[in-house]
Amino acid sequence: MLTFSYYAPTSLNQACRLLSEAQGQARLLAGGTDLLIQMKRNLVKPQFLIDLKKIKRLKGIEYDPEKGLRIRALVTHSELLHNPWILGYYPILAQAAQTIGSVQIRNKGTVGGNLCHAVPSADLAPPLLVLNARAVVRGLKGKKFIPLEEFFCAPNQTILKDGEILQEIEVPRMPERSKAIYLKHGIRRAMEIAIVGVAVLMALKPDRRTCAEVRIALGAVAPTPIRVVEAENSLQGKIIAPEEIEKAASIAAAHAQPITDLRGSAEYRQEIVRVLTARAITHAARII
Amino acid sequence: MKHHNYSIIGHRQPAVDAASKATGQAQYTVDIQLPGMLWGKILRSKYPHARILNIDTSKAEKLAGIKAVITHKDTLGKKFGFVRNTADQYPLAVDKVRYIGDEIAAVAAVAEDVAEEALALIRVDYEVLPAVFDPLEAIDPEAPLIHDGQNNISARLAWEFGNVEEGFGESDFVRQDTFYTQPVNHCPLEPHACVASFEPPDHLTVWASTQGVFYLRNQLSRTLDMPISNIRVIRPQVGGAFGGKIELFPFNVCAAILSQKTGKPVKIVCTREEVFTATRCRHPMIIHLKTGVKKDGALVAVQARIILDGGAYNSTGPVATYLAGAFLCLPLKARNIKYEGFRVYTNKPVCGAQRGHAVPQIRFAIESQLDIIAETLGLDPIELHLKNAVQTGDVTLNKQVITSCGFSECLEKIKAQRSPALPEGKGIGFATCAFVSGATYHLFFTTEAFANAIIQANEDGTVSLITGVADIGQGSDTVLAMITAEELGIGVKDIKLITADTDLTPYDWGSGSSRVTYQAGNATKMAAAQVKKLLLEAVSHELDVYPEELVARDGRIFVRDRPEKGISFAEAVSLAQKSTGGEPIIGQGEFQPQEAKVNLQSGEGNTSPAYSFGAQLAQVEIDKELGKVKVTKMVVAHDCGLAINPMAIEGQIEGSIAMGHGQALYEELIQEKGQTLNADFINYRLPTARDVPEVETMLVESVDPGGPYGAKESGEGIIVSTIPAIANAISNATGGRIHSLPLTPEKLLKALEQKTK
Amino acid sequence: MKEKEGNKKGKQLSSVSRREFIKGLGAGALGTAALSGGIIALKEAEAHPAEESLEEGIKIPLRLKINGIRYKVEVEPRYTLVDVIRDQLQLTGTKKACDRGECGACTVLLDGKPVYSCMTLAITAAGRDIMTIEGLASGEELHPIQQAFLENDAFQCGFCTSGQIMAVNGLLKQNLNPSREEARNALAGNICRCGTYTRILEATLDASQRLRKGGGNRG
Repeated sequence: MLTFSYYAPTSLNQACRLLSEAQGQARLLAGGTDLLIQMKRNLVKPQFLIDLKKIKRLKGIEYDPEKGLRIRALVTHSELLHNPWILGYYPILAQAAQTIGSVQIRNKGTVGGNLCHAVPSADLAPPLLVLNARAVVRGLKGKKFIPLEEFFCAPNQTILKDGEILQEIEVPRMPERSKAIYLKHGIRRAMEIAIVGVAVLMALKPDRRTCAEVRIALGAVAPTPIRVVEAENSLQGKIIAPEEIEKAASIAAAHAQPITDLRGSAEYRQEIVRVLTARAITHAARII
Repeated sequence: MKHHNYSIIGHRQPAVDAASKATGQAQYTVDIQLPGMLWGKILRSKYPHARILNIDTSKAEKLAGIKAVITHKDTLGKKFGFVRNTADQYPLAVDKVRYIGDEIAAVAAVAEDVAEEALALIRVDYEVLPAVFDPLEAIDPEAPLIHDGQNNISARLAWEFGNVEEGFGESDFVRQDTFYTQPVNHCPLEPHACVASFEPPDHLTVWASTQGVFYLRNQLSRTLDMPISNIRVIRPQVGGAFGGKIELFPFNVCAAILSQKTGKPVKIVCTREEVFTATRCRHPMIIHLKTGVKKDGALVAVQARIILDGGAYNSTGPVATYLAGAFLCLPLKARNIKYEGFRVYTNKPVCGAQRGHAVPQIRFAIESQLDIIAETLGLDPIELHLKNAVQTGDVTLNKQVITSCGFSECLEKIKAQRSPALPEGKGIGFATCAFVSGATYHLFFTTEAFANAIIQANEDGTVSLITGVADIGQGSDTVLAMITAEELGIGVKDIKLITADTDLTPYDWGSGSSRVTYQAGNATKMAAAQVKKLLLEAVSHELDVYPEELVARDGRIFVRDRPEKGISFAEAVSLAQKSTGGEPIIGQGEFQPQEAKVNLQSGEGNTSPAYSFGAQLAQVEIDKELGKVKVTKMVVAHDCGLAINPMAIEGQIEGSIAMGHGQALYEELIQEKGQTLNADFINYRLPTARDVPEVETMLVESVDPGGPYGAKESGEGIIVSTIPAIANAISNATGGRIHSLPLTPEKLLKALEQKTK
Repeated sequence: MKEKEGNKKGKQLSSVSRREFIKGLGAGALGTAALSGGIIALKEAEAHPAEESLEEGIKIPLRLKINGIRYKVEVEPRYTLVDVIRDQLQLTGTKKACDRGECGACTVLLDGKPVYSCMTLAITAAGRDIMTIEGLASGEELHPIQQAFLENDAFQCGFCTSGQIMAVNGLLKQNLNPSREEARNALAGNICRCGTYTRILEATLDASQRLRKGGGNRG
């Protein structure tokens, strides 16, 4: 690893100031599970490393029955797995966190890191997208709220500007009669980067057969994690039936723009999107 | 299965080095730190094929902390190779580089990162040459020549026993397929490593993560032009090898030269990326296979034409090419066999030996094809195998002598385990294997003695077992200690092991080709028997009985019919020493396989003194929409001869299955224009604890007349049948047949799509 | 290839005074408290004694608490924990096999939880409880997990073993009675190329039983 200067500020303000002063030459260290690999491979060569782990404000999970959930950026994947609010009200997040790497990675890797690295395969992104989460971003000029859909710009690139730090993620309450699920396709049963990730949130009307609202998000099949509104629209207001599910799944597959890489061909990924979307819709619609 | 009255042999014995491994105290080569030790690093080629015009090391030499920089000019320019007469690799590139990773220069520095920094300062001027990556293109006479002055065929072996054309004429059904296998890496968790310490004027000590200290010493001796007696090679614990640490590597030579130049010990530890790209991998093969059978499944003719993609250097090439042909049929018999194997140079990482050495590839092809044939003819594949099964006393067409064979019993046991109808999406697959219990020495063109042991009895009741065998984690030290303990009637804890140090231990070829239990085991048993003879003689005088009336067991030597009449083993040692006037009580044993009978050119000869056999069932669950395969269970019947340590044998079988599982389903080095794209453990996937199947093992103990207590091979054979068993199970579950490894979801979906067309 | 473009030694940002800087580093215990339940409870911080700044390429003294013993080391900010404990402290039981957080051989416990020490900067481990394989046995007596590994023949080459045992230890600190599936899941970040997974799993369940009988995992 190349040399760098190390900073461990204790406040967000300090961190923002340091970050902006570094003029793009700094990287933020949270869990380090992605960043340190990139630094060891010399793919990322920061002159300054700003360790956020001393900042209290970035830690913890809060829940308010009205406002919903607040996950601070330094919350680890392991914390998601064991948090009673998450297990009770947002189990999709625990379920997605469980698919990440290994216990060692989950013990260090953070929600903020997972999102800010902005890899298309980030496992927490599709679930948070279907939960209509928004990012609370802290900069020198104060706070900003950014819908998560607008957060990702390109592979490894978020909307964050110099001096801005992801402080927390706000997740509204899930709609009534709704269920969300994340399905991940990988080869091994652990230590896998998603070949395809699909999250579906389904809310049913009181008849429990008609789709009141559906949200579908995909990972690893576009430059960023994406929502597929077209597929959602095809299902909205419909009675959930196999042919409707197939139709929505096919639209989702058609809107995926995967690339061929080491983990799978574009063609194969597209097919997997179709299969997993159909399964996720079926699953989310069934178990309410 | 207990059918004998041994007190140690056949019992479940935890490894002798277990406590040191469980506490982290076990010392591996990577753990060695010596005073003043420097770190060495290797500069490797960026190009798959290039002429080296100039190497400028001046900047690197000036870097603070750099103690030495070497290029080929600092070497003797001597080629080395696994097989002596096909040596083609230099310690540091002399004229050309032939693959991305080829060694160009080496540095020694006070710290690892300084050494790394220095590499970036070495300037190499290349003339990039056209490269060839596809073995079929490399065979073309117009292809760029990788080794000047010779074509790109690094080895070619061909033979025919009987007449296959006539055989195909007589057959009721002839099937022809082409199969493809992929490059895979051994991935030992301990990276390849060595520490070299040159002591003036002329002595070199090398600690190495190696499978054979004597083999390494001989190779170093030739490459450095030093007498073997001036080189001491020591094996600390080895963190896995699987065939990948059987050879000399350029970094070994570089560490030695760097140490000589600097007067300091030099340590080189390969990075994971180097292990992936610059050590060895399994030979990918293109296998054209044609098989003719009678209606009842009797094998009439088998013909194989194989292209082995060897990479840039020869490595074990000729041996691999031979073994693929030698195990074309075994454990089955055919009336006519024809084989042609070409090993081809390409500008890619070098291929060599790996668990099962060339046999898993050929067996994937033939077991897949036999499965297709059985299905086509409506035969039960197990019955088909039973019909053609080799038996004890058989001599195969290529003159392999079957001294013991429990293969049919393996088949019967597996047959009994087969569940009848399976639900949709589930399947079972069946495949078999045979493997060597060590090779006969002319395969390796070594003239040295093959396996030896020295045992000295100590008057405190312990014995020292001195052997050159390098345990690489498979538990061979434990097996040899058990043999010693059984023979002398003492406990395994009473055996003090002195192993794998060329200055202290007698010659042994090393841990390769599954030879240790059989070959070093025989040598050890013989040495222990000699000690026992000396002790029994002394005790017989003391007790006034004939030596034949005495038994050594449970730490005592006593009269068989009157167990109360006897003395302790410790007393016996003192007694024997006194009776000889203080001579040490030492036994010596050796093992030499039969005279060379293998002729690589004709393919004739007995490959090994004994053969293991196995049969295996894989159970799978398939997600047909995703193409995902889950292997739920493996049932194995393995004829490993008498099982000296059943616990370790089960471990070897489980290990073979775990590795075979990965290599069947997902392991593959992805190479593009000679560049390996997935030299890491995320994109090159190894099975995790959540992936491996449940394993049920049944041991079939055909007692081999030549093996120690009847023991044979157990470390490698089962990977051979694991891979085709999974392939056949996938086909059984889905009807889709994949002809190339690994059996990925994507390929399965394609195969299923083709089926429905 | 190693490049150093622009990385001039001694570069420092002014937004944080050296004092704050050092204070920040000293608050290691804070993180622990926050992780374990959102309650902030300040333990005695491992105050950083040095006056040096943490500029690139410059070594600074650091205190690490490993297996209950306090060690003084000198590190650059870029040094990972595995290198410091192996190369500087000669605690070589912890292995480095991939150096990319992909195999688990370097697993240690950080405040009781398994982490990859090759993906942990040593500097971020100051003030935290680090446990390596060397801290498990008490004297000659093997810890029940080690004993279970030994009796179940749960290794071959042994190179992954330290990491496996630490992963098991981390699991059994959290859950003394894991199911097979929970155990498998906890072990999935530790590669064993020898393929002794079934035995490691058996050893884990065996150890959990031993520990339940013995009254808990104090390892």
